[in-house]
Amino acid sequence: MIAPLSEFGSLGPLGVLVSGFAIGVAFGACLERSGLGNARKLMGQFDLTDLAVFKVMFSAIVTAMLGLFWLSRLGILDLSHVYLPDTFLLPQLAGGAVFGVGFALAGLCPGTSCVAAATGRGDGVAVMLGMLAGVLATGALLPAIQRFYMSTSRGALTLPRLLGIPEGIVILVVVGVALTAFGFTARVERRAASVR
Amino acid sequence: MKMLMPKRLLAAVAAVLALLAAATGSSRRVPEAMIDAKQLAGEIQREDDHVTALELAQWIRDRKPGLRVLDVRTDSEFAAFHVPSAERMPLESLVTLRPAAGETLVIYSEGGTHAAQGWVLLRSRGHEHVYFLRGGLLDWMDDVMSPTVQSTSDSASAHVASLSRYFGGVPRVGVAPSAPAAHATATRDTATAAAAVARLRRRGC
Repeated sequence: MIAPLSEFGSLGPLGVLVSGFAIGVAFGACLERSGLGNARKLMGQFDLTDLAVFKVMFSAIVTAMLGLFWLSRLGILDLSHVYLPDTFLLPQLAGGAVFGVGFALAGLCPGTSCVAAATGRGDGVAVMLGMLAGVLATGALLPAIQRFYMSTSRGALTLPRLLGIPEGIVILVVVGVALTAFGFTARVERRAASVR
Repeated sequence: MKMLMPKRLLAAVAAVLALLAAATGSSRRVPEAMIDAKQLAGEIQREDDHVTALELAQWIRDRKPGLRVLDVRTDSEFAAFHVPSAERMPLESLVTLRPAAGETLVIYSEGGTHAAQGWVLLRSRGHEHVYFLRGGLLDWMDDVMSPTVQSTSDSASAHVASLSRYFGGVPRVGVAPSAPAAHATATRDTATAAAAVARLRRRGC
């Protein structure tokens, strides 16, 4: 086991910061190259004319999932050292709803708003400021909403643990769904393009 | 033939990796230890987790099929004295042990703690027919090597006395184990072994 490099100390504190920055830049660059800094392209997601967001995100999930599985299986990565966020059912449902409304209204999500702002788009800057204001407001209101915030805790849930089926089967199903969906979206986009 | 497009190639790679993942099952190389805490707790409560020194002595004398006696103490302690037929097995090796079918494992340590912890480790890896010696080698010294029996006439006492003599022990009749007279009757071998274990007694485990 040599990974996560940050956990096993081979990177050092400065190395962690530098590599984190590099990964962040790469993430932003990939989002930009995928055209996701453009609110119009993102809105195509909702009227089913451009499913780039879906494809980018789903291929990222599939890549990370296969990578983590095989790195762990080959003894390179220790998955017990990889942080797994806890599930808080109701607060996260509420958060998801707020996020969805904001995404649909602004046409940008947190990552893409930073990308849009970095490429000089005014709407990106506005959404980024709004996002930071939301983070501050949540922090300030936390004492008042603490009970709800920490309610319906389910611990660190994963699909294999929740469903009681092996990780490999979940991976096969998710990859199968992704590849089918990619084929399907190509057809949807072709049809949308021909209508236009 | 049309060459595979990069997109198709990537999709094919993902599909192959996913199929292999499904065949592999788990991302862990070592199977996860599954502790059924409730079941283990029940076994402990019912005292199905251990054997007494006399039970172990009986098993060894009867040459119980598949019996393996494992000593988890250090090399030097093992060299000083060990239960006859025991093999030395440090806890680190114990956790990777794969008992053959039909084997019964009895783990012992000085006072029983390390052996009991070894029992949990082995049971959590799904091995059944695992026991530890209650009271450890200290109980073995007291109950097998120098037991105190009520009299020589009743059958229970006679049984204990015969077991003890089988292992070279010296049963005493109605005398407290710490009485000086008892030491006088002990053979020199037993006395040496008892002294070796008495030194351990202060440390426990």
